[in-house]
Amino acid sequence: MSSIGLPHFLAVGAALFALGMVTVVTRRNAVGILMGVELILNAANVNFIAFNHFVEGPGRLTGQVFSIFVIVLAAAEAAIGLAIVLAIYQTFRTIDVEETDLLRE
Amino acid sequence: MANGPQPGPPGALREAAMRGLAILASLLLGGGVILARLFSRAPATLETWVVFCLALYLALTAFLWGLNGFAFRRLPLSGIPLFLFSAAAFGVLFLLGYFVGGVAGPFLGDAASRIIPYVHIADAVFLLFAVMTIGGAAGTAFSRNIIYSAWSLLFAFLGVAGLYVFLGADFPAVAQVLIYVGGVLVLILFAIMLTKQIGEDPKLTNAHLDLPAGAALALITVATLTYMAFMAPWKTVASPSYEPTSAGLGVAFLTEYLLPFEFASVVLLAALVGAVVIARKEIKETSETVL
Repeated sequence: MSSIGLPHFLAVGAALFALGMVTVVTRRNAVGILMGVELILNAANVNFIAFNHFVEGPGRLTGQVFSIFVIVLAAAEAAIGLAIVLAIYQTFRTIDVEETDLLRE
Repeated sequence: MANGPQPGPPGALREAAMRGLAILASLLLGGGVILARLFSRAPATLETWVVFCLALYLALTAFLWGLNGFAFRRLPLSGIPLFLFSAAAFGVLFLLGYFVGGVAGPFLGDAASRIIPYVHIADAVFLLFAVMTIGGAAGTAFSRNIIYSAWSLLFAFLGVAGLYVFLGADFPAVAQVLIYVGGVLVLILFAIMLTKQIGEDPKLTNAHLDLPAGAALALITVATLTYMAFMAPWKTVASPSYEPTSAGLGVAFLTEYLLPFEFASVVLLAALVGAVVIARKEIKETSETVL
C-alpha cells in the first residue's frame, strides 16, 4: 500500500508552478520566458491528472481530457510564441525582452 | 604528473588535483560512515549519533569545497561561507531524508533491516520522478546558460510523464513524451539556436526582479500551495483505478467533448498557418533589405 496520495502530487505541481513563475519573472531571454510558461502549463496538467485519479474516481476522465486540451494548446502556444520570438529577432536583432519595448521597428 | 613543469598556470593543476582528492575522500568518508551506521549492530547512543552527523557534515563540506573547483566557479566558497553553506545543505539533506521516511529512522534505531519496511517501492518510484521533475524545473529556472535550461526542461517533461504513468494516465503520458519532448522542446532548441545568445551572467536576470527576489517568490508560492495541498480536506476516492484510459478518452472526445475537440483542431490549424506566416514574413522583409 503506497503512502503517496493526492497532496504529494499537488506539492510537485506547486513546485513546478513556482519554478515556472520564477523563470517567467526573472528571465530576460524571451525563449526562457516561454520555457517558464511550459513549466506552468505542466504544473496545471499534473494537478488535472492527480485530481482525476484521486478525486474523480474510476471511470471518469474529465481531468485527463482537459490535460490533453492543455497539451494541445501548449503545443500551439509554443509554435506561435517561438515564431513571434523569431520575428522579433529578425526585427530587433535581439530577444532581450527589456530592449524590445517598441511596437514598431 | 602534477609536479612536472607545466606551461599553464602553475598552481592550477595541483589545486584541481587537491579538490578532486577532496571529493573522493568526502565520498569515501560519507559512504563509509553511512554504511557503518546502517550495518552496525551496536545500539545507537547519543554520542555515536553526534559523531555520525559530524562526520557527514565534514564529508559534505569537503565535497562542496572540492566541487567548487569544477562547478559553481562563479560562487567561490571558502572560509566561513563554505561552512555555513555546507551546514544549510546538510540541514536540507537531513530534513529531506527524514521526511522521505525511514532514512532517519535507522540512524536512531539499530539495524539495517529497519530500512526495508520504511521504503515502499512505489514511494521510491514517485520520489524519483518528483525529484527529476523538480530538479529539471529548478535547472530551467536557475541555470545561467539557456541551453542548460532547455536540457533541464527535458528532465522536467520526462519526470512529469513519469508522474502521469504513476497516476494511471497512460495516454497523457505518451502524449507528453511525444508532444513536449518530441515537439515543443525541439522547437525551443531551434529557437535558441536561431537567435543570438543573450544571458551571459550580468544579463541573466531582468532589472526589475533579480534572482534572490525570484527565489523568495518561489518559496512563498511553494509554501502556500503545499500548505493548502496538505491541509485541505480532499474528498479522495477509496481505491483509485489503474485501468487503461485510451478507449475512454477517445469516446469522451467524440461524444461529450466533441465541440472542444473540433475547436482544438481549428486552433492547431490556425497556429500552424499563423506560425508560418509570422516567421516567414520577417525573413522575406530582411532578405529584401539585404538585396
